[in-house]
Amino acid sequence: METITQVALQFLAITVAFTVVLMIVAYTVLAERRVLGFIQGRLGPNRVGPFGLFQPFADLLKFILKEEIVPDKSTKFVYFLAPMIAIIAALMPMIVYPFGPAINLPFIGSITLVIARFDVALLYVLGITSVGVYGIMLAGWSSNSKYSLMGGLRSSAQLISYELSLGLSLIGVILVSGTLDLYSIVEQQGGYWFYVIPRWNIFPQIIGFIIYLISAIAETNRVPFDLPEAETELVAGFHTEYSALKFALFFMAEYVNMFTVSMLATTLFLGGWQGPGVAQFPILGVFWFLIKVAFFLFLYIWLRGTLPRFRFDQLMNFGWKFLLPVAILNIFLTATAVFIGTIYGWW
Amino acid sequence: MTLTGWEAVFFWVFAVTALMAALLTVLARNAVHSAMFLISTLVSVAALFILLGAEFVAGAQILVYVGGVMVLFLFVIMLVNVGAEERGKEAIFNRTPQVVASLLFSGLLVIGLVIGINQGWRAIQERDERDNRLVEVQVRRAQEEQALPVAATNTMKITRDTERIGNSLYRYASLPFEIASILLLVAIIGSVMLARTIKQEAVTDDLDPEVLKEAAPLITERADLTEG
Repeated sequence: METITQVALQFLAITVAFTVVLMIVAYTVLAERRVLGFIQGRLGPNRVGPFGLFQPFADLLKFILKEEIVPDKSTKFVYFLAPMIAIIAALMPMIVYPFGPAINLPFIGSITLVIARFDVALLYVLGITSVGVYGIMLAGWSSNSKYSLMGGLRSSAQLISYELSLGLSLIGVILVSGTLDLYSIVEQQGGYWFYVIPRWNIFPQIIGFIIYLISAIAETNRVPFDLPEAETELVAGFHTEYSALKFALFFMAEYVNMFTVSMLATTLFLGGWQGPGVAQFPILGVFWFLIKVAFFLFLYIWLRGTLPRFRFDQLMNFGWKFLLPVAILNIFLTATAVFIGTIYGWW
Repeated sequence: MTLTGWEAVFFWVFAVTALMAALLTVLARNAVHSAMFLISTLVSVAALFILLGAEFVAGAQILVYVGGVMVLFLFVIMLVNVGAEERGKEAIFNRTPQVVASLLFSGLLVIGLVIGINQGWRAIQERDERDNRLVEVQVRRAQEEQALPVAATNTMKITRDTERIGNSLYRYASLPFEIASILLLVAIIGSVMLARTIKQEAVTDDLDPEVLKEAAPLITERADLTEG
C-alpha cells in the first residue's frame, strides 16, 4: 500500500512539474516574440486574447491540425523516433532540480520541493543532455535530404564541441561544493559574505559561469550559435523535412532545453532558491528560483534580438581554442585554491 | 544476491534488451542501425548498473559512451556514408572461413567467461562465508542508509558512493588512471598527425625540406584557406 502511495505521489509530482514547465515554455515562446518585437521596434503577436496571451494555444492547435508530411525515401522508424528522443531528453533532467526548500503543506506535511534527489544528479543532467544530440542527428540522417543531413552533422559537431567546455566549466562548482547533489549545492549557497554579498557560486566561479553561459547558448542551438538551422544556407537545418506535431516537438525541445540550462545556471551559480526571506517563508524560494530563471530566459531572447550569427570555422575555433583552454585553466585555479584552502582550513 | 519484485522485472527487461541489441549490432546491414543498436546496448547496461546501485558508473557510461563516443561514431558513419547495405539482399558475412573463425573465437570466449565467472563466484562465496562479511556489510549499509537524507517522494536516498569511487580511484588506482590518460593523449596526437594534409603541414612549416621540394606542385598558393 505504501509503495502504491509513493509511486502515485511521485507520478503526481512529475506530472505537475512537467505541466508547469511546458506552460512556462509555451509562454517563453510568446515572450520571445513580444520582446523581440519591442527590441526591433514592432508589435509582435497581440491579437489572440489580451496581450496575445492565448497565442500559445492557437499555435498548438495549428500544429495539431497541420498535415503530416513524411518524406518517401526516409527511414520511417528513425524519422518518428528522432523528435521523441529530442523532447524526452529535454524533459528528463527536470526531475532533479530543486525548485524550493522544504515546505509545510496542510494534510501532507513537510515536503522538499525536488522530485528525485540522488547522489549523481549533476552527472545525470549532463548525461541526459548529451543524449539529446541524437534527436537532432538522427532527424537529419533519417530525413534523407541533403539539407537535413548537413544540418544534423553541423549540429552534432557543434554540440559535442561545446559539451566539453560546458562540462568542464561545471567542475569548478563541483570542486568548491564537494558534491554532485544539486540540493546540497543550493543549500551551501545560503548566507552572506561580509553581510552583503550572497554566498553564490558565481563570485568564486565567475570564469566558470561565463564559460557555462556561452557554451549553454551553443548547446541549445540559439543565436549567435544557431548554425544548425542557418536558414540562408540550409533551409531549416535538421528539421527541414518535419511538419505538424513532429516539428512542434523539436520546437518545444529547444525551448525546454533553454529552460533546463537556465535552471542549471540558477542552481549552480546563482544560489537556486536562496534569497531574502526564504528562512521565514520557505515558499518564497520558488519565487526567487523562477525570477532567476526568468532572467536567464530574458538574456537568451535579448541576445537573439541583438547578435548576428557566427561563421562555422569561427564557431569551432572559439570553442576549441578559447573556451576549452580557459575552462581547463579555471579547473586548475579552483583546484589549487581548494587545496590551499583545505590545508589552512578556510572552509 | 537474489532479485525480487520489480527489480527482477527490470533486470530481465534490460538484460534481454542488452543481449538482443548487441546481437542486432552485428547483424544489422545498415551501419547507422548498427550504431543505434549499440547505443541501446550501452543504455541497457547503464540501467543494469543502476540496478546494482552503481549510479556513478551508470552516469559515466551514459555521459562518456552514449553521449560522447557513439555520437562521434555516428558522425563518422554519416560523413563517410558506408554503403554496404546498398547491395540489397546480397550476403555480406557468410564465407566459410569467416563463419568458422567467428564461431571458434566466440566459443573460446564463452568457455573462458564461464570458467572465470564460476571460479570467481565460488571464491567470493567462500570468502564471504568464512568472514561472515556479507551479513556485516549488509547491516552496515542498512545503518548508513538510515541516516541519509531523502527526496520529496521518499523513493530515493543520497549515498556517498561518488566520494568512495573518487577516493579509491585516486588512492589505489592513480597509476593506471594516469597511464590511461597518457594513452588517450597519444591517440589524440596520432590522429591529429594522421588527419593533417600535406598543405597544412607546409603552412605550419612542419615539412622536411626534401619532402617540401617534392610536394611543391601539390601546394597551392591559397594556403590561407587551409588554416583551422
